[in-house]
Amino acid sequence: MSTIPFQQAKLVELYCLEPVFFASRELSDTYYTEGVIGNYALTYALGRVNSPYRLQGQATGRPTYKEDFQPIAQDFYILPASPVGRVTFRFERFNALSDAYWYAMTNNRVATAREDLPLQRQGKKPSSFRPSNFPQTGRLRMIERRNKFQTLVFGNHQLPTYIRLGKFMSKVQVNVLNEFPVTLLPEGEYQSQHYLNAADLPQQIEALAFDLISIPPAPIIKNLHFRGAAWQIGEMIVPAGLHFCGRESSNE
Amino acid sequence: MSISKLSTVLAASYENFPKGRFITLVVLRTTHSETIFRTEGSGEPMCSEFVQAGLEGENQKTIIQRLVMTKRKQVAPERRYGREHLRAHELLYTNIKDGSLCSLNTNAPCEMCVDCFLYGFAAGGGGAQKSRIWTEDAFSILPASDVVGDRTINAIYENGTMRDEKGNASTALNTSEYIKPGVHFLDVVTLKDVTADELRYIIGNILFTSRYGAVSSRVGRMENEILGVFGSITELPSSLELVQATYDVLGKPLEHPLNINQLITASKQVIANWKNKRGVSVQLSEEELANLLTDVETNWSEAERDNFLKRLTQSYEPFRHVATEKKKAKAKGKNTPVEVES
Ligand SMILES: [Zn+2]
Repeated sequence: MSTIPFQQAKLVELYCLEPVFFASRELSDTYYTEGVIGNYALTYALGRVNSPYRLQGQATGRPTYKEDFQPIAQDFYILPASPVGRVTFRFERFNALSDAYWYAMTNNRVATAREDLPLQRQGKKPSSFRPSNFPQTGRLRMIERRNKFQTLVFGNHQLPTYIRLGKFMSKVQVNVLNEFPVTLLPEGEYQSQHYLNAADLPQQIEALAFDLISIPPAPIIKNLHFRGAAWQIGEMIVPAGLHFCGRESSNE
Repeated sequence: MSISKLSTVLAASYENFPKGRFITLVVLRTTHSETIFRTEGSGEPMCSEFVQAGLEGENQKTIIQRLVMTKRKQVAPERRYGREHLRAHELLYTNIKDGSLCSLNTNAPCEMCVDCFLYGFAAGGGGAQKSRIWTEDAFSILPASDVVGDRTINAIYENGTMRDEKGNASTALNTSEYIKPGVHFLDVVTLKDVTADELRYIIGNILFTSRYGAVSSRVGRMENEILGVFGSITELPSSLELVQATYDVLGKPLEHPLNINQLITASKQVIANWKNKRGVSVQLSEEELANLLTDVETNWSEAERDNFLKRLTQSYEPFRHVATEKKKAKAKGKNTPVEVES
């Protein structure tokens, strides 16, 4: 790890102009967003990677991060965004609505075939009353409007002023706060203040202590105390050799 | 036909991969009757939020509570408007799973109709289409306290009293909040990689949808007006910033009801600056905008509608064969799609 793929990095602030929702975890009928924005989501949102409007076949069941990020990984990297201050959340109820005049909520599903109702009452199961395989009602915990996050963008790229994040394509403002050269620090013991994607850590470093935020698609690590080489960006320190899916080969 | 002015930011046909083509519609939404926007159940207060009053001077430091018309409250009825016509012209498809006609939120989108292609769908397992219509929460110009009214609901029984035959008091006696008529919301709608006919379809849905929010058979009338159309390679400012900048221009004191012409002039003054924003390539002039709206109305007219909707439907034909190549390996993905309508 003697060369640094990135000459510079930008310290970027993300300002939530709208509530942001990701399905980080689920408890009963409530869908929780964690107070962090994953770096894979950010990579798509910043337009570094093209993902199709229509997902078909395999792509619907399995994300294609590795394939998508491989072509850009030499020249672009972004950290998961960590909150500036304490994150505030809001709860919202959602209800799936039908476009039929008559509808009923059954088995977590909006049924619209009124003629099936008598069958349903007789204990029969017309297909229009079968349970839905995606949630139709529940509560969402979302990141509240006006929250701020920070992240580092490696590489020399122009960034859009606005991006869209999360399930509802919420508008988020992108402000570049500062730009720094990236310098390499020799092997040693370091503490990183930044949120890091566990799947992107280089295999060479030794993690001594950390906290874990368990979210899909890969857990986020914070307060990492590690031994290994490091990159210094202004006052900030991260493990050297961060790379999309950098750890994946070891556990697959 | 001024739609050609937008040709550089319009797609020639539907394409599956995004390109840097943005069309931004600036929409003024005005309530024409009592209206109810809530994010929680009935009895809850109107959906509102504390935000900076404006972007400059004292307005920047002043925090006011504004009404919010959430993005999902906008898109659900507009989408349903278009679907009514697709249904009437028999342009909704049946889905392969259970042979039922394309329907919102019922597990089985057809994946083939105009609505599915434009507004998207999430089907468990089969596939998914991202929406190319990005809405935003819209904000009232005036503070919520100025534009929300209280109404006491007296539910009187058939016998004309507040007690039923058994002498039980009506429980429906309570006060409930509503948004007054004549309240203005400013809004930015972003369209990504749409074709000319898709643009006509979307604008039609916005212009012709007249009811929003709860209990829409009695209340919720709203009039939409398009104040500006931009073409760009990036997104333009948010609805919130638009409302704040317009508030700055309007000056004080402001009182409900606002003079709509002053409001429109102020908003147009704000968006006139947007043409200098990074990435903006087109702003329709007043005349071009008027022509575009006439074009939309013509295509949606009684005489043209069938032709227009069929032409739009036909444009997706090359992409419809996809449904046949269903994968045998049914991937058990654990990322649950959360399709949310309202
Ligand atoms: Zn459909």
